[in-house]
Amino acid sequence: MRLKKGEPDLWIFFTTMLLLVIGIVMVFSASYYDTLENDPYFYLRKQLMWAALSFVAMLVMMKIDYFRLKPYINFIFAVAFILLIVVLFYEPVQGSRRWIKLGFINIQPSEIMKLSLVLFLAKKLSEIGARIKHFFTGIGPYLLLLGLVGGLIMLEPDLGTTLVIAGTACVLLIVAGLRLRHFFVLAFSGLAVVGALILADLNRINRIIGFLDPWSHASKEGYQLINSLYALGSGGLFGMGLGNSRQKLDYLPEQNTDFIYAILGEELGFIGAFLVVLLFCLFAWRGYRLALTCPDLFGSFLAVGITTTIVLQAFINMGVVTGLLPITGIGLPFISYGGSSLLFSMSGVGILLNISRYCSNP
Amino acid sequence: MSVPIKIKKRVAGILFFMTLLLIVLAGRLVWVQLVKGEELRQKAFAVRFRNVEVKAKRGTIYDAQGKPLAISISTDSFYANPAEVKRSKREKEIAQKVAEILELEPDKVLQQITKEQAFVWIKRHVPEEKAQKLKTAKLPATAEFTATNSLPGIKSVEEPERFYPKGQLLANVLGFAGIDHQGLYGIEKSYDQILSGISGTIMVEYDNRGQEIPDALQKYIPPHDGNSIFLTIDETIQYIVERELDGIMQLHSPKKAGIVVMEPKTGRVLAMGMRPAFDPNNYNDFAQVNWKNFLVSDVYEPGSTFKTVTMSGALDEGVVNVNDRFYCGGFVQVGGRKVRCWKASHGSQSFMEGVQNSCNPVFVTVGLRSGKDVFYRYLHGFGFGKKTGIDLPGEATGILLSKDKVQEIHLATMSIGQTNAVTPLQLLTAFAAMANEGKLMKPQIVKEIRDKEGKLMRTIEPEVVRQVISVETAQQVMSILESVVSEGTGKTAYVEGYRVGGKTGTAQKIIPGGGYSTSEYIGSFLGVAPVNDPRMVCLVVVDSPEGMYYGSQVAAPAFRNIVRDTLRYLQVPAQIEPEKIANNLHSIELPSLVDLQVSEAVKILSQKKLKADILGQGTKVKAQLPLAGTKVVEGSKVVLYTSVPAAGAEPETVVVPDFTGKNIVEVKEEVKMLNLNFDIQGSGVVSRQEPEPGQQVPLGSTINLYLETLSEDVLYPIGP
Repeated sequence: MRLKKGEPDLWIFFTTMLLLVIGIVMVFSASYYDTLENDPYFYLRKQLMWAALSFVAMLVMMKIDYFRLKPYINFIFAVAFILLIVVLFYEPVQGSRRWIKLGFINIQPSEIMKLSLVLFLAKKLSEIGARIKHFFTGIGPYLLLLGLVGGLIMLEPDLGTTLVIAGTACVLLIVAGLRLRHFFVLAFSGLAVVGALILADLNRINRIIGFLDPWSHASKEGYQLINSLYALGSGGLFGMGLGNSRQKLDYLPEQNTDFIYAILGEELGFIGAFLVVLLFCLFAWRGYRLALTCPDLFGSFLAVGITTTIVLQAFINMGVVTGLLPITGIGLPFISYGGSSLLFSMSGVGILLNISRYCSNP
Repeated sequence: MSVPIKIKKRVAGILFFMTLLLIVLAGRLVWVQLVKGEELRQKAFAVRFRNVEVKAKRGTIYDAQGKPLAISISTDSFYANPAEVKRSKREKEIAQKVAEILELEPDKVLQQITKEQAFVWIKRHVPEEKAQKLKTAKLPATAEFTATNSLPGIKSVEEPERFYPKGQLLANVLGFAGIDHQGLYGIEKSYDQILSGISGTIMVEYDNRGQEIPDALQKYIPPHDGNSIFLTIDETIQYIVERELDGIMQLHSPKKAGIVVMEPKTGRVLAMGMRPAFDPNNYNDFAQVNWKNFLVSDVYEPGSTFKTVTMSGALDEGVVNVNDRFYCGGFVQVGGRKVRCWKASHGSQSFMEGVQNSCNPVFVTVGLRSGKDVFYRYLHGFGFGKKTGIDLPGEATGILLSKDKVQEIHLATMSIGQTNAVTPLQLLTAFAAMANEGKLMKPQIVKEIRDKEGKLMRTIEPEVVRQVISVETAQQVMSILESVVSEGTGKTAYVEGYRVGGKTGTAQKIIPGGGYSTSEYIGSFLGVAPVNDPRMVCLVVVDSPEGMYYGSQVAAPAFRNIVRDTLRYLQVPAQIEPEKIANNLHSIELPSLVDLQVSEAVKILSQKKLKADILGQGTKVKAQLPLAGTKVVEGSKVVLYTSVPAAGAEPETVVVPDFTGKNIVEVKEEVKMLNLNFDIQGSGVVSRQEPEPGQQVPLGSTINLYLETLSEDVLYPIGP
């Protein structure tokens, strides 16, 4: 198959770049007070470095034709899987083992897995054909693998990422033609597992309590959510102005990572916060649109997977910050501080952009 | 080749689903940021901002002449910002320095300044010198740290401290303000709102580590300084009162003593002092009871001073006339019970004399004649049973026996100042009405309120409560009371040069639980001066003095001194001419009458208003008693001997006078004049004597006097 290469989707490109720029600015704004006494530019510098690296990665992935990735997917998946095991041997940071420390940089293998799994599933599901309808002989092995991956990430533990991965896999399976009853079996067992995982850990129970009734537990369980809401509320329509957040003054924990969206909402107001939602809507539209116009199934599934990963994660993060969902502990794609996440999200966007070059332009 | 349509449909479905999620999210944003935004913003604001109160300057309390009695001075208070202290990493050095300068325990200081708080007081109201030292203290450079030019995290704030420049003077009236400058007692409490002003605030924005945010929002609401108060109290008169109180304490060591001076025409309190007192600058060094103003907050059964009220009512109602005759046989029978007089018998006397003698049967009779309706009308009229409304905290209402329970015996005892309990201020306020042509005034302690620039904000005008008795009755009462001082039980209150009126009182103290004490008394004096144009009324109350306890002994002298010095201070001209003064009590110097013709000597004596008692049949005065140069009172008897008794001859005799009811001072004077000796047993007043009155005894004989503590106005508890 020889296809004519077109122009990459500029919507996706510019949406991503805009989110990235907003992210860099917000990371600086949210973090500088915290590190004022030592080095106010510490996080800005690191995020800029990662952004540059990620940008290059995106350009590289945009250059590599997505179907040429196919032969390497099993290998990539295997490496990601092994890294998930390796990370468990590291010392926990704040109660979880998420980073592989390489001295100069720290890598988050679950972020690698997010992209790898999408690649893996896209490949396998594009080849599965009618077997998708069979539970044991068709989807069974993948579900098992998925369970293993989820289990490994839960050992770190990182419920948020597990949910994103499970959600993405679920979406891919549905798109690939999962039987409705299989879907329900999956959904219910998935919910049961999540329920069990929550109940098994006091920390997670507290998060649920803090989510359900933050105001009665304002000093402990509800503290983070309340301060997040304070930030958003303080922002109002137009925001307090860039750099003027008060909640970032040590009131809101994780102000430059998982809760950066609250600081954004405080400084840029509803207008800024809604713009971000709008950008992710745009991203979803253009991303899924690729899947519709893509010349092959692999590309289509890949587009669905990558788009879903990013949009789902964005929704979960913003949902947590606004109090729609209990706290899970994942960042906002392109915006939260965090190197691995940015690198692999941008790599994903690179793949999307590459796919877009093969899609028929209307 | 292309993606199957089925898959496309599903992708579209997913797109729809994802968009839906994001729409829900946008809806949530609208709710949180726009609908609930303001509420959340306010809540966040409340968390972030801390109000630092800026105290308003407390107003000054001045006396009537504008002399400061309570002022606020600015002192430095030191506090720590523990976050800053810890950040310096030199906590121990800082604690050491602070402890050294403030003379505190280094360990305790260290504990204080490293507490998990944003603000910790180290020491408040630090004296000037130490404050300067602490403000300029530095940390030296060490191997690890550079030198600092102040102690990190140790800060000072100017805080006003209340200062009472006159110390104990007027303490119980002024009260005091506490460490936070809040009025806690006395005027400081009742006028706290006016004095304290309105605090301002500095709202400072803090981060969650307890540090001020650089270039944070700061709102400053300036304080509104308190207004100043000008009292009706005159510092000079107050000083006179305090001096007399010290004198009373020294002479009689009573449990308590109190004096109030009031201007009857306005109801303004000119002085109010008491013991025990305290120094409001160090109020914590004194027992809490010392802080109290018992003249306003405590009640007592006033005893005979209350007879002024009985008298006013009866005269006003016309149930008695000054010339009505009464007989005192030492007691009066009321409803089968005996109310005793303080003297065995006063015999027949006019009402006027009855008042002079403070005769119980007279007042009981008058009280019964008034009846309870009339009696209570005047009680209420004079304001008893109700607060006077003076601007002092904790005023008591007093206890009146409820009218429907009043029987004859109660009426009888009330008439002589028992049964009902009143505050000293109530009694004086009622008395002031008698001195003010019958008009009851509301007692006042504050004259003016001015703002800090001295602009008059409010003048408290004298306030007439009601006309209680007629002008004529009031005048009558005044002249009767003048005679009490000039002729009767109140002689010790006599002030040279001024027309003074008053009434003594000596009440037995009530024992908690019922009955009257036989060992503890309240001696008091209630007086007015000058009688014809009253400038001041004054009540002196002496509670449980040691030794002497009659009002005339423990209270009247203080009254006399206060009146004398106050009237002089008020520049009230002396009313009685100098020659009259010279002729007055205690001031007649006996001339030598020896070798004069008897008729001539008698003439001289009668000119000096003295009586002559001639012994012997001679025509010339051979000797005289008392001797020449002795000062005697008007009407004294001078014995003239017309023949010197020869050796072996029948000794001259004298008639033994009646000493009953007299106290030692009176006895001494009389006995000396008669050239008799005396021997005393017991204490109090004479109840029995040997030989009996009227007997002839030789000059120089010894009279045995048996004294009893049945004295003056002291009343025996009513028997069953």
